[in-house]
Amino acid sequence: MKNPILKENIERFESMRHPLSLQAGIKEANRCLLCYDAPCSKACPAGTDPGKFIRQIKFLNFKGAARTIRNNNVLGSVCALICPVEKLCEEQCSALALEDPINIGGLQRFATEYGKHNNLEKNQPGKRTKAKVAIIGAGPAGLSCAAELAKRDYQITVFEKEQKAGGMPAITIPEFRLNQDALNYDIQNVMDLGVEIQFGASISCKEHIEKLKNDGFEAIFIASGLTKALKLPLLNNYQNALSYIQFLSEVKNGQLNIDVENKTVAVIGGGSVAVDSANTAKALGAKKVYLISLESLSELPADDEEVRLAQIMNIVFKSSTQITGIENANNEIIALAGQEVEWETPGNYSPSNAVLVNHTQFKIPVDIVVTAIGTAVADELPKVFEGLQTGAKNCVVANNQFQTNIPGVYAGGDVVNGGATAVEAVSHGKEAADEIDRFCSISGK
Amino acid sequence: MKKVDLSIDFCGVKCENPFFLSSSPVGNHAEMCARAFDAGWGGIVYKTLNIESSFKIVMPSPRLNAYHYNDKRFVGLQNAEQITDRNIADNIEDIKNLKKNYPTKVLVSSIMGFNDDDWRTLAKMSEDAGADMLELNFSCPQMARKDAGHRIGQDFNAVTHFTEVVKKNTNLPVMAKLTPNITDMIPVAQCAKDGGADAIAAINTVRAITDVDINNFTPLPNIHGHSGITGFSGAAVKPIGLRFVSELFNSPTLKLPISAIGGIETWVDALHYLLLGGRTLQVTTAIMRYGYRIVEDLIEGLSDFMIERNILTIDELVGKAAGKLIDPSDFSTRFQVVSQIDENKCIGCGQCFISCQDGGNQAIKFDSETRKAEVDESRCVGCLLCKHVCPVWDCVSHKEVDTQSEKHAAIF
Ligand SMILES: Cc1cc2nc3c(=O)[nH]c(=O)nc-3n(C[C@H](O)[C@H](O)[C@H](O)COP(=O)(O)OP(=O)(O)OC[C@H]3O[C@@H](n4cnc5c(N)ncnc54)[C@H](O)[C@@H]3O)c2cc1C
Ligand SMILES: Cc1cc2nc3c(=O)[nH]c(=O)nc-3n(C[C@H](O)[C@H](O)[C@H](O)COP(=O)(O)O)c2cc1C
Ligand code: SF4
Ligand code: SF4
Ligand code: SF4
Repeated sequence: MKNPILKENIERFESMRHPLSLQAGIKEANRCLLCYDAPCSKACPAGTDPGKFIRQIKFLNFKGAARTIRNNNVLGSVCALICPVEKLCEEQCSALALEDPINIGGLQRFATEYGKHNNLEKNQPGKRTKAKVAIIGAGPAGLSCAAELAKRDYQITVFEKEQKAGGMPAITIPEFRLNQDALNYDIQNVMDLGVEIQFGASISCKEHIEKLKNDGFEAIFIASGLTKALKLPLLNNYQNALSYIQFLSEVKNGQLNIDVENKTVAVIGGGSVAVDSANTAKALGAKKVYLISLESLSELPADDEEVRLAQIMNIVFKSSTQITGIENANNEIIALAGQEVEWETPGNYSPSNAVLVNHTQFKIPVDIVVTAIGTAVADELPKVFEGLQTGAKNCVVANNQFQTNIPGVYAGGDVVNGGATAVEAVSHGKEAADEIDRFCSISGK
Repeated sequence: MKKVDLSIDFCGVKCENPFFLSSSPVGNHAEMCARAFDAGWGGIVYKTLNIESSFKIVMPSPRLNAYHYNDKRFVGLQNAEQITDRNIADNIEDIKNLKKNYPTKVLVSSIMGFNDDDWRTLAKMSEDAGADMLELNFSCPQMARKDAGHRIGQDFNAVTHFTEVVKKNTNLPVMAKLTPNITDMIPVAQCAKDGGADAIAAINTVRAITDVDINNFTPLPNIHGHSGITGFSGAAVKPIGLRFVSELFNSPTLKLPISAIGGIETWVDALHYLLLGGRTLQVTTAIMRYGYRIVEDLIEGLSDFMIERNILTIDELVGKAAGKLIDPSDFSTRFQVVSQIDENKCIGCGQCFISCQDGGNQAIKFDSETRKAEVDESRCVGCLLCKHVCPVWDCVSHKEVDTQSEKHAAIF
């Protein structure tokens, strides 16, 4: 029942998850068992409630389905396209015991698009009568927290350093996985709730926080995500070595000034981000794209869907290998030297656990190198908030209620968990909103 | 956002929405009914009451068999269940409590007697317990005695008589629930009206056999080696229900409000019944299959439809399609349709070809090379069999040709 992933779509940068027709949507919804205490609903981090919206589709209540999704998950259209469903809702689907799981992502898209194309009424704006809350970052976590609080009549201002809202999905996730329309629709729905977003507004020093306090903001939600791409020291200072953030965001903005067509590109990393970069390079016309990862093929942390796509795109997987050196000329890397690796202790995928295998050296000529080996929280964050407790990768330490060690300051999304999924960031935003609401109510704001 | 009003007046009883449980196990006792009200149902027709001292009900077992069609499960349900097997005191207590806890919801007491006294007593007890209305069950097809249920519904004088007996002993509005197991429902409905009925509820279940066990040559449900022709309900009976409801509505003499029943699952089903004359809508089988929760989709789906069409009250829908039903002898034949296949949507399966060859007028050409179907308009008789078999829902359409002659005959 799944849609095939088509190579042509990627090359045309069209959505690879096809929309379901009315006929296909109804048929798929009728496969759903409409489970009691639906396991799919329990497995959705953001509480989107697929068990309910699929039932609504089955009973031809299409707008109701669109409402359920929008009310429960402000990034419902985005999540329909990028959620790793096979690890979340669909993994828990009861139908899996009998046949294919229900195409929950597909039905979620079906419902959101139905609403969009059939004049689903706009969200009503909140009354903006309660306390002022500042939100740093207009990504999934920030937007979700903003929406929940706006619905409860708080005065919300989102400070976003870029010129667009959406966070990583807007900045980096390639168009062939996430079309701009879906993102715009979700963002518009958040704005309709009366959320104010200030663009080009980076919160980057102590004074900014002082000003927020002077302006009467009672609580702050840090949702600034991960902005610092980690680098291999070996590749520092070469102009044809890019981080994935730079590569993907420049491609999205149309600002990439290195020509990729007919070039050989090596992507270093094995996660979703690396695979996205490799597929993007291929879609831009690269002659050959290598994906160099310490992990073996079956250990790749990337989602199945993306790996399948990489196979279709003929990405060359150099799995279980490590870069050991480079060759350069005129400030550019011209070749990468590498060697196969094995794990010293099985199951521990950290670089320090990799041991080189003798006689497996290789060398590949490259024109462009993209590193995607991880991301961290921006270095300045702890300086912005004096005394803010941070941990590994500079991530903000927050408790289960998303409170930081500073009263009135909350944090959620990638900035806390070190990088996970959009749907998890949405759930953090929702839950943090509950806590901020409680905090402001107690202090009578 | 515009708000529609789903409330409706039924025999002077204000219903917050037209969606009711029909009398059956889905409204068997107070705890169930409370959950149904909480889920959003506007009213409940309580499981048909019985006086156990008059006749003790023991249910046969197993009492259900589902009708499956290929991979589609449960398109209909056969039951061998009788009226309630709970004792009257408990049921009356339940009705009292429900009315106390849900004063704005509508509670209809369904009753069945075996003599004047029974009918009188049940009517009186129901009224005293606070029921808003009575429904007289003249239609259960599987009572364990031959002088009850649908046999009464087929006996015109009995219908008038028992309705009269009830009406004389209650101030409540009274609905007669009629059986579809009859050639024409209008005369019986008229008899109920003569007896004083304020409304008609239809349909009860259709007598049927859903399956035969081919291992032991026994129809199902297999009730210790035997089975019976018993009541069939659910999606499969909706076309039959629509027929009876529209006939009741269109009767020039009857003119009674109708509580429509039979195979309602979605708001679209509900709308069909409204458009053909139902004022309130009753549901059992879909609830047995999917639970009370479906009322959310009935309400939301119907409301959205009404908002989109700028229809603000249920009254504006009732019977709006019924007037378009005419006798087949009055159909116009001047306009003939010709099938049209959208070649961009055609997936080349050839089902239309097979059907038109063997069940139509051999008007479809199928090219095995290009795998495309094409209509030969000169042979097409416009039956639209092709449209109905095509697996692509919006691939086959038709155009209308004005023959300029009322006596047009197809050119065979
Ligand atoms: C290439 C790529 C592919 C991905 N693929 C998927 C996928 O398929 N499925 C999935 O679920 N997840 C995916 N993710 C992960 C997902 O995008 C993130 O988990 C999610 O966006 C985290 O949301 P967030 O709100 O915490 O942070 P972000 O999305 O990072 O948003 C943070 C926002 O804060 C802004 N900001 C940062 N610093 C400041 C500051 N100082 N002042 C003001 N604003 C600031 C940023 O500009 C940004 O808009 C992917 C990520 C990447 C990079
Ligand atoms: C198991 C079962 C029990 C029923 N019991 C009664 C009953 O006690 N009294 C009654 O008037 N109708 C009874 N009915 C008929 C229903 O109320 C209803 O008229 C019929 O099922 C058609 O509606 P549906 O297709 O929505 O089920 C029963 C139906 C079923 C399936
Ligand atoms: S778990 Fe699967 S079958 Fe059950 S309700 Fe969810 S989608 Fe439907
Ligand atoms: S549905 Fe419930 S009552 Fe009916 S047979 Fe199954 S378990 Fe028993
Ligand atoms: S049945 Fe429909 S899809 Fe199949 S050949 Fe005919 S027109 Fe084409």
